[in-house]
Amino acid sequence: MAVVEALTQATSPGVPAGRRAAPSERWGRLALLAPSIVLLLGVFLVPLGIMLWRAFTDPHPGLDNLTWYVGDRVQRQVLFRTFTTAFKVTVVCLLLGYPYAYAMVAAGPKLRAALTLLVLVPFWTSLMVRSFAWVILLQDRGPVQHLLTALGLGHPQLIRTNLGVIIGMSQILLPFLVMPLYAVMSTIDRRLILASSSLGAHPLTSFVRVWLPLSLPGVGAGSLMVFISSLGFYVTPALLGSPRDSLISQQLYTQVNVLLQWGRGGAMGAVLLVVTFAILAVLMLSIRQSARRHTKASEATSIEATSIEATSIEGAAR
Amino acid sequence: MHRLMSARGCRAMMAGGALAASLLLAACGGGGSAGSGKGPDLGSGPAKAGTVKAGALKGTTLTFVSYGGIYQDGQTKAAITPFANESGAKILQDGPTDNAKVKAQVTAGNVTWDVIDTTNIFAAQQCGKLFLPLDTSIVDTSKIPDGHMTDKCSIPAMSYGMILVYNTKKYGANPPASWADFFDTQKFPGKRGLEGSAGEIDPGILEGALLADGVAPDSMYPIDVNRALKKLSTIRKDLVFWSTGAQSQQFLESGQVDMELLWSGRAYSAVKNGAPYKPIWDQWMPEADAIAVPKGAKNPKAAFALLNYYLGADQQAKLTELTSYSPVNVDAKPTLDDLAKSFLTTTPERQKDMFKVDNTWWANNHDAMVTAYTNWLNG
Repeated sequence: MAVVEALTQATSPGVPAGRRAAPSERWGRLALLAPSIVLLLGVFLVPLGIMLWRAFTDPHPGLDNLTWYVGDRVQRQVLFRTFTTAFKVTVVCLLLGYPYAYAMVAAGPKLRAALTLLVLVPFWTSLMVRSFAWVILLQDRGPVQHLLTALGLGHPQLIRTNLGVIIGMSQILLPFLVMPLYAVMSTIDRRLILASSSLGAHPLTSFVRVWLPLSLPGVGAGSLMVFISSLGFYVTPALLGSPRDSLISQQLYTQVNVLLQWGRGGAMGAVLLVVTFAILAVLMLSIRQSARRHTKASEATSIEATSIEATSIEGAAR
Repeated sequence: MHRLMSARGCRAMMAGGALAASLLLAACGGGGSAGSGKGPDLGSGPAKAGTVKAGALKGTTLTFVSYGGIYQDGQTKAAITPFANESGAKILQDGPTDNAKVKAQVTAGNVTWDVIDTTNIFAAQQCGKLFLPLDTSIVDTSKIPDGHMTDKCSIPAMSYGMILVYNTKKYGANPPASWADFFDTQKFPGKRGLEGSAGEIDPGILEGALLADGVAPDSMYPIDVNRALKKLSTIRKDLVFWSTGAQSQQFLESGQVDMELLWSGRAYSAVKNGAPYKPIWDQWMPEADAIAVPKGAKNPKAAFALLNYYLGADQQAKLTELTSYSPVNVDAKPTLDDLAKSFLTTTPERQKDMFKVDNTWWANNHDAMVTAYTNWLNG
């Protein structure tokens, strides 16, 4: 439960927007951040810089690596497949995770503990072990296929398909969506639902106009975590997928470890980074826009919700 | 016999330890002994595979890198630990081998891996670039079976092959017998397993396709990769790809494929576990790991001494008993049961049946083949 508490604190907006910290307080905060800033600088930003440098200098200075990557049909296909797979995984996680998080909030303490444990135990299990477990479950003549056959659905091919990859990745990434969602949902004042129904709103209307907008920060933070993690998945697609629908991480491995083309690997990483940032920027802008429209259009209750939404999504993006 | 000798060697080492150390100190302090320059005194006379001068490497530390698992354990028991005991060297273990790390260490001039087990294609490709040429005054290569030396920088680590196997229950009295049959889905319907992980292609896949397409063995190289991939495309819907050795073995044990092209060691393990498969040895494709010493290694002579020791007949026999890979010393006499013996790839009979893979061609064209195959897989 301590983990849940920590996550709750991390994702719920702490300092109210608009309040400025005193200078001494600001320095104090900076000092607290210093160790992590130094760590990030040393083990993330410097290597990232070297990688980008290589993309434009290895083996020759110029744009060779980039033009190769953008010009290669197969590589473009793989990049596109990586993003669509990440998107599908996010949608599946959202469809499964949202009701689950709601059940966690609505449940009594005992059931909630059980539900939390059900999410966290797989989360604590090694990714490798879980991927192998999926290999056994999804393999040809495996239990899942048997079950589907018994239900009269034929012999659908699961392993070595993009579908198998999505199933495995969704299960592995589900906690990353459930936990932030639960954290946000548990801070929602449930009397607001009572208030809306006492004012005559249909349960569905209460959900769509009160609960959903208030839970959006969790949806945003969780979806981003799942989406971005999906982009870099290596082990699960390698085990559950087929080389026919490999993702960018497998192609990166080929360039860096097999062909020793570090410049090309750098270019691939750079393109992935830029495309990811571009997608995030578009997403954030559209959310901010809709939030603004929403604020103008609706009254009282939704004002606080949208401001929370905007700040926490920005926070997650950083 | 071997045990007795190594026990004696051990005692001799202990007795001579102090002496050897002082000799070493004298050699180093003396400012260059005649002939061999700096480095350890490995004794005089031509090198003999499987031996090292007792106590010659006291105070030396080497790092041996391989692929882990049963394989590296077997190498350690068969050759690395006995070498450490006899020579007095301290051997550290690391793994798995990562070619990118080799490049990183050599280009940065900070080499911490001294003896590296890698693929023979990579060793040949990087000979003189990332790897040092063998010092043949230290490494005795005379007992290596014919056709197993791929370049001047590495020794074979063991021998194995890519072989076709078929399900004996499925095909019964009229089994497939050739590469042509592997590609004949009319006469031999069923799923076929094939290596297919991003960035990997072992020699043998393309050659097999071309043999099935009617290319004569002696006009195989240079490989017509487009023709080979076109042939592979004809059976594409019946292909199932494996990306790890364990997976290729699991395909057989769970009966997911009716035929498969896989590494001989994995085929042996599956059959030993009761999977009903039989190999087709006609035109099988030989393969080998290689062991090499990277440029910039701190003590190349000591590293080459380990290579020389590794090649001994007793060491190779033991390695085979422990790993099911075939020995790379013609005098090695491993004690094996009949099934394990039937999967050995270095017997005269197997040497007669094998297709002669041109490793030099592969070293020069490996990267282009990887790219072509990866693109075909994704196509």
